[in-house]
Amino acid sequence: MPTQDITSNTIPVGELVTSVEQVSPNFSVNSVADKFFCTTDLDAVAVIDDESMPVGLVTRTKLLFSLFRRYGFELYGKHTIITLAEKNPLIIPKDKHINDVIDMALERPPQDIYDEIIVTNDDGTYRGLLSVKQLVIQQSNALAKSILQKEIASARAQELEKISQVKSQFLANVTHELRSPVNAILGLAELLRMAAEKNSMEQIKERLSFMITSATNLRTIITNILDLSKIEAGKMTVVSQPCNVTELVCEIAETARILVGKKAVSIVVTAPVEPIIIATDHIKLRQIITNLVTNAAKFTEAGAITMAIGINNGSLEIAVHDTGIGIKEEHLEKLFTAFGQIEDAKTKQYQGTGLGLTISKNLAELIEGTITVTSTFGKGSTFTLFLPSQVHERRGVLNHAD
Amino acid sequence: MRINQLKKKKILVIDDDELHLYTTRELLQDEDCEVISHKSNYGIGVTNLVRELQPDLILLDINMPGISGEQLAKLLRWRNTPFVFYSSNDEDSLRESALRHGAKGYICKGNIVELKNIVKKYLAKSTFDDMTISV
Repeated sequence: MPTQDITSNTIPVGELVTSVEQVSPNFSVNSVADKFFCTTDLDAVAVIDDESMPVGLVTRTKLLFSLFRRYGFELYGKHTIITLAEKNPLIIPKDKHINDVIDMALERPPQDIYDEIIVTNDDGTYRGLLSVKQLVIQQSNALAKSILQKEIASARAQELEKISQVKSQFLANVTHELRSPVNAILGLAELLRMAAEKNSMEQIKERLSFMITSATNLRTIITNILDLSKIEAGKMTVVSQPCNVTELVCEIAETARILVGKKAVSIVVTAPVEPIIIATDHIKLRQIITNLVTNAAKFTEAGAITMAIGINNGSLEIAVHDTGIGIKEEHLEKLFTAFGQIEDAKTKQYQGTGLGLTISKNLAELIEGTITVTSTFGKGSTFTLFLPSQVHERRGVLNHAD
Repeated sequence: MRINQLKKKKILVIDDDELHLYTTRELLQDEDCEVISHKSNYGIGVTNLVRELQPDLILLDINMPGISGEQLAKLLRWRNTPFVFYSSNDEDSLRESALRHGAKGYICKGNIVELKNIVKKYLAKSTFDDMTISV
């Protein structure tokens, strides 16, 4: 990704002028020397004529070098300064860029390399002096800045790259998850046609039920994808109303019994005798628990799925425990990211899209809850939904016996 | 070998999805062949199965848990058993890479006509080529 080197090349030297000292060409050498003696940090003065045009440059080192020689003051003292000044100093317009100016400065003969540079305005009049030392400092600052900026830019580029990778991975996975049931439906439709030709009512019935399963799967996936994008767009609204959690969990347990089908898996609900009623969005709560239980049913071949409801430390806990395949520790953190469990679309570590858990986590956050997971690989997993329940109230009436 | 030749040809379908196995098996029921479906469980036992069965053609799913069809293809390549990828996806890139993985072709699962055509083509082929290799 190309990063623009914006700092180092675009500083016009006009802004870096370090001194505006100037003398007229007719000043005596002595008076200029006095100026240098009195101002110890003065390194150079520009010689400027009556029309403000630079005509020469006097540097401390060179002037004092001439004057301190034997008879120097006697020889030059009374002359005009222009006679000792450098007649062809480096003069550059203020809009030149720092890198060019440094190149020009360093191309000078060795004895002149450290001479100050005269900067002029657009009309050629004197603007100020620029020390080479200052220039180099500025340039290295600019360079450091631009390196930093480059680093920031490349970090950002990497981030964007990653986001786009995740997005295209997501798309690839979504595509597969959508195509798979569609193709199954197409195949089943063809099989139905074949069965109809043979007038085999039994086959028609069997294939129709498969087709309905496939279509239902497809609908679930589509709903999940749409839900997820709704959540991401912040368009999911929460409607809070009293909800009998015990009843809800018992209902979901019934669906779970259908899901596990012929597998040797028992569905157990443990709950306080008194039904727990809290104010929450029951549609979202149902969706979360259903997702968790569906997962448990999918990954458990034998044993039990236990759904435990309880109030602990003022918060409602709904734990879904299974004796399924479990999750390796290194996979736990990726669990709640859409398709996060699939490193490579072609070798999915687990079946399913992982959309369900992502949605559950997001839904839980919407109703101010959290989901945690603990798991032992090969032994089973426990997903627990915590909901704040300051609003909960226990009803003393037993209206659901399980 | 000669007896083999008289037997019905065998097509092995490898997939992780039972519904797809069912659909494929039933779609090919009118073809003059024996369709054996294998539900892939992390690819365990696939090479042994192929050695035992010596199928005339393998239909190989790509997206499978644990081991992908493309990874399985590497294991199958040297067995001289022709295989085609049989996947739900329909991207050109997959079709192109299929040949690189040593597959004889690529069928999209929803494309029933293509499925039947390729299977017919393999059933029509004599086993002569295979015999010369195995004799």
